[in-house]
Amino acid sequence: MLRCSFCGRRAVYHRRYAGVFLCDRCLIKSVERRFRRAINENKLILPGERVAVAVSGGKDSVACMHLLHDYCRGKRCELVAITIDEGIKGYRDESLPIARENAEMLGVEHHVVSFREAFGATLDEMVKVAAQRSTGLNPCTYCGVLRRSLLNQAARELGADRLATGHNLDDETQAIMLNYIRADLSRLYRLGPGYSPRQGFVPRIKPLREIPEKEVALFALLKGIKVHLAVCPYASGIHMEVRDFLNSLESNHPNSKFMILRMFDEIKPHLEAAVPGFEARGCESCGEPTSSTLCKSCELLQGLGLMRRRKNLIFVEPS
Amino acid sequence: MVEITVKVVGQRTRRLKVDPGTTIAELLRRVGQNRETVVVRLNGRIVAEEERLKEGDLIEVIPVVTGG
Ligand SMILES: [Zn+2]
Ligand SMILES: [Zn+2]
Repeated sequence: MLRCSFCGRRAVYHRRYAGVFLCDRCLIKSVERRFRRAINENKLILPGERVAVAVSGGKDSVACMHLLHDYCRGKRCELVAITIDEGIKGYRDESLPIARENAEMLGVEHHVVSFREAFGATLDEMVKVAAQRSTGLNPCTYCGVLRRSLLNQAARELGADRLATGHNLDDETQAIMLNYIRADLSRLYRLGPGYSPRQGFVPRIKPLREIPEKEVALFALLKGIKVHLAVCPYASGIHMEVRDFLNSLESNHPNSKFMILRMFDEIKPHLEAAVPGFEARGCESCGEPTSSTLCKSCELLQGLGLMRRRKNLIFVEPS
Repeated sequence: MVEITVKVVGQRTRRLKVDPGTTIAELLRRVGQNRETVVVRLNGRIVAEEERLKEGDLIEVIPVVTGG
């Protein structure tokens, strides 16, 4: 039997990049510590702030909500959860109840916002139209852009000071590599533990950014948290290739992911001068903040013959 | 050789023969699973992949990488 390097109890994990074995308790403590350190060192949340967390029902976002719930209690912060229902049959309809269940269990105010009500179509429907019209764009492009925009609008309407997402180390290094491959400097520059000093955007924070995906999964499983462990039916293409590449790199050369992250964090301050400034104005179609006349969401929707409705997403029932 | 049972979530259960003392990490390579993307239960308990296998062990492999 392998034992924990710190307390001698039965090991559940070999953290190869650090050369240590961890038991269930020490792993949970370590994840909690890293989570708090990421917030404190990067000043991601200030005492008394209102924090919105995006919760899909997957392990990362659900773990993030549980960790934030603990954190917020100690810092007089308010936590509110948002789930975007993209309309992915056999996937989101299964994870959404899990998101709701976890929010209820923690007593966190929970709001669901759907693609259908905001855009008049589900992602499944959009994917069909995109194929018919041969837009050449893959589902992740629509989903990513539209989900981010809805999350921002919902968080803003809820009066949130921060919008937290469950992005882990694997997600972040994958995004770094993808932006290299696509030579997208502006998007690369936007990565980091927290971002957005821009008007109309709720600052986004990623408190799990320095925790490997496997450790987030272990945290959720060991704490007995109910999560949805399925792969999105649309996951494919270069995203998955980069993810597989990073995982095979990491399994042969432990610590590679952290090294990619560290290197990016060192480079980032030097990128500012190379990235064009952002002048926020309102999209002429939907009114959401953008740097051009039409926001990216509306551009994508137009290509599908759809239009975003100008309306509030969040309805708070009068008490 | 010792006989073990491998259950990868979402796949058919298999019985395999391995050399005694084979590690879970080695077994994962053999069944085409990357250790960075799975959590492994050995006889019901989550374990580190350097744990060694013996006759009659039940290994459950839970894929946990869901992002895209
Ligand atoms: Zn321990
Ligand atoms: Zn717009």
